[in-house]
Amino acid sequence: MADNGVGAQSQKSSLIKHTNLECKNLYDYLKSRPPSVLEKLYNHPTICLAVYRELPELARQYVIRILFVEQPVPQAVVASWGSQAFSKEHTHVSKVLTELSVWQEAGIPGGLLGWILSPTFKKNLKVALLGGGKAWSMSSALEVDSKARDVSFLDAYSQERWECVLHYMVGSQQQEGISADAVRILLHAGLMKRDEEDGSPVITRQGFQFLLLDRQAQVWHFILQYLDTVEERGLDLVECLTFLFQLSFSTLGKDYSTEGMSPGLLIFLQHLREFGLVYQRKRKAGRFYPTRLALNITTSNDKVPDIEEDAPKGYIVVETNYRVYAYTDSNLQVALVGLFTELMYRFPNLVVGVITRDSVRQALRGGITADQIIGFLKQHAHPRMLDLQAKQPLPPTVVDQIKLWELERNRLVYSEGVLYSQFLSQADFNVLKEYAKSIGCLIWDNNDRRTLVINKSSHDDVKKFWKRYSKGN
Amino acid sequence: MNNIELPSETQPDITSTDETSLLVVILDSNPGQKMLRDNPHILTHCVDSVIAFANSHLMQKAQNKLAIMACHSKTSQFIFPGPGRPLDVRQIDGQYEAFTNVEKTTKQNLAKILSSETSSAITESLLAGAIAMALCYIARLNRIKPPGAKLNSRILVVTGSGCSASQYMNYMNVFFTAQKQNVVIDVCALDQHLSLLQQGCDITNGLYLKVPQLQGLLQYLLWVFLPEPPIREKLVLPPPVKVDYRAACFCHRELIDIGYVCSVCLSIFCKFSPICTTCHTVFKMPAPLAGKTKKKKKI
Repeated sequence: MADNGVGAQSQKSSLIKHTNLECKNLYDYLKSRPPSVLEKLYNHPTICLAVYRELPELARQYVIRILFVEQPVPQAVVASWGSQAFSKEHTHVSKVLTELSVWQEAGIPGGLLGWILSPTFKKNLKVALLGGGKAWSMSSALEVDSKARDVSFLDAYSQERWECVLHYMVGSQQQEGISADAVRILLHAGLMKRDEEDGSPVITRQGFQFLLLDRQAQVWHFILQYLDTVEERGLDLVECLTFLFQLSFSTLGKDYSTEGMSPGLLIFLQHLREFGLVYQRKRKAGRFYPTRLALNITTSNDKVPDIEEDAPKGYIVVETNYRVYAYTDSNLQVALVGLFTELMYRFPNLVVGVITRDSVRQALRGGITADQIIGFLKQHAHPRMLDLQAKQPLPPTVVDQIKLWELERNRLVYSEGVLYSQFLSQADFNVLKEYAKSIGCLIWDNNDRRTLVINKSSHDDVKKFWKRYSKGN
Repeated sequence: MNNIELPSETQPDITSTDETSLLVVILDSNPGQKMLRDNPHILTHCVDSVIAFANSHLMQKAQNKLAIMACHSKTSQFIFPGPGRPLDVRQIDGQYEAFTNVEKTTKQNLAKILSSETSSAITESLLAGAIAMALCYIARLNRIKPPGAKLNSRILVVTGSGCSASQYMNYMNVFFTAQKQNVVIDVCALDQHLSLLQQGCDITNGLYLKVPQLQGLLQYLLWVFLPEPPIREKLVLPPPVKVDYRAACFCHRELIDIGYVCSVCLSIFCKFSPICTTCHTVFKMPAPLAGKTKKKKKI
């Protein structure tokens, strides 16, 4: 029975994949860099500091515990630091530390395996913590700025610059001051694409999702995309990253010197200036002020409310009757709220809208997810909303309903499979069906037509079983 | 309410506590401490260790907050953030600017306090007062923080002084206030065992450690006191030992096992007195009606 007619055809269903905005954090970004680049990056205390802060909590404790230990620490000893109940977390943490080559495996006399911190990382983290080594490049002494800028000025400036980019994306009227370079980055990032007819940039699905991110995440995503193109521009990636992190660890409202910066970095600085990450009065001023956008640039994945008093306040109130009140006069913010609400009234400082099934579905069709809408509402919740219920700033009914509206759209489940058909006998078919059922890979079957669909991953298993079975006959 | 089945994210089940964490370090810099009288240079070592530890705390998360206090025999002061305008610090080496700032400010303010110390009389450090000030500082930050923000606060006391029962009442007041405010009190004893402060740690769920070797102070601090309370359960830390819960009597400030308790105001005395010194209640002599007017109670 060589040719029994069981033909296995790959079912080429065109799986519909949503291209969602992929927001990498620093960890994902660094993980995708080759170890040699990592090693080069760890030569800078700033980057070590940034990487350290990005590690999971437990990992941070591990690193600090062995920071001052010169010889490898046995792996069993490290494992004994965590309590039994959290051993899974320990494994995860060890994996992260290895992936980022923060620590390496090392043999200990006696045949045991131990962990030792990467020497470069250790040295430079110590420098960042305790001092020593060379000063960072931007901290040369400066004379007192005669026209020093204060924090509120810098905040207003950075907000204006950044909103310029966002305005350009939503295509509202205030289209000024965005350079061809910035447009190129937007196109490169896939946040905008050239219109097929007239070639003018239009916003994409990812672009909408980008708009709903919080400011920090937006900047970080944008900068990552920018860094991708850095090498094409002839700038040095390591140099730029180092500078970026130096910037992120600088103090708001203080001026820094451009002295001793390479020509490449000066270009980079000008680009950052355009997006509002730094303020410079004149191109040749010799000094610059970092703004809030540049500070702590990597802490984007978790939204921790800052306890600084001057942080920007939220403006959106959501009621249980699905009404949304946005206290704002910014066209951009109105446009953002308008993405998923039906606007009803507009006042000088207030916009009233209502969340409806249609408006949400329209947003979902545009590629925005329910979580993004909820995240946006939560993040910009008015202080009064946070006051009322400490735990949930949004009415749970609205949150659940938005999620339900999204689920409405996901009624189909796609799974890749292999079609088995043309069985010669009902018995053969039954045997194969029972086997598939027993290993839990049967997706669909039809007795009359003697066809069945099997999970793609267990195709090999089933094939082997069929060969064994047909030989036995 | 959120019982709808939603496509769950495939995140590893890692609980993360990314909240702002405030650490107030109280450093006992009283020159009258026994260990400092024996060897004044120990203070430099302690200050360096504490600063490195404080910076490690700031290094954990960008939003972490820090305050350092110096505790003396007559006064307690905040040395970081110090009074007046923050220093204009420029980087001199590879150290992170914020860390340099902590180091410079702390050392400068501490030097100021130490140089203004005039009397040579040996008196004990006002630790209870310092803790009270720290609690006030924490309460203020809690009040001005924006709605929705969460602040985990703890106090670390680093001291080499001995335990004295004279501040017993003040200690108990601050411990129970801290407990009520959800502030954890950790104590790092450098020289002598501190039974009263140990009670405070126990009450507020903090950790108490008597450092066996002063040389390794920084390592002890980093190992035991750096993890903030939410992570502590994930780590194996020194187990709590049996806490000595003896109270101090109000008359002689001595720790006692068995004493007399005023039935009106619950003041504790080591010897019977006919008039309660706290609330002035008059008791009858114990001879005829031993069981009624006074209560003999084991504490």
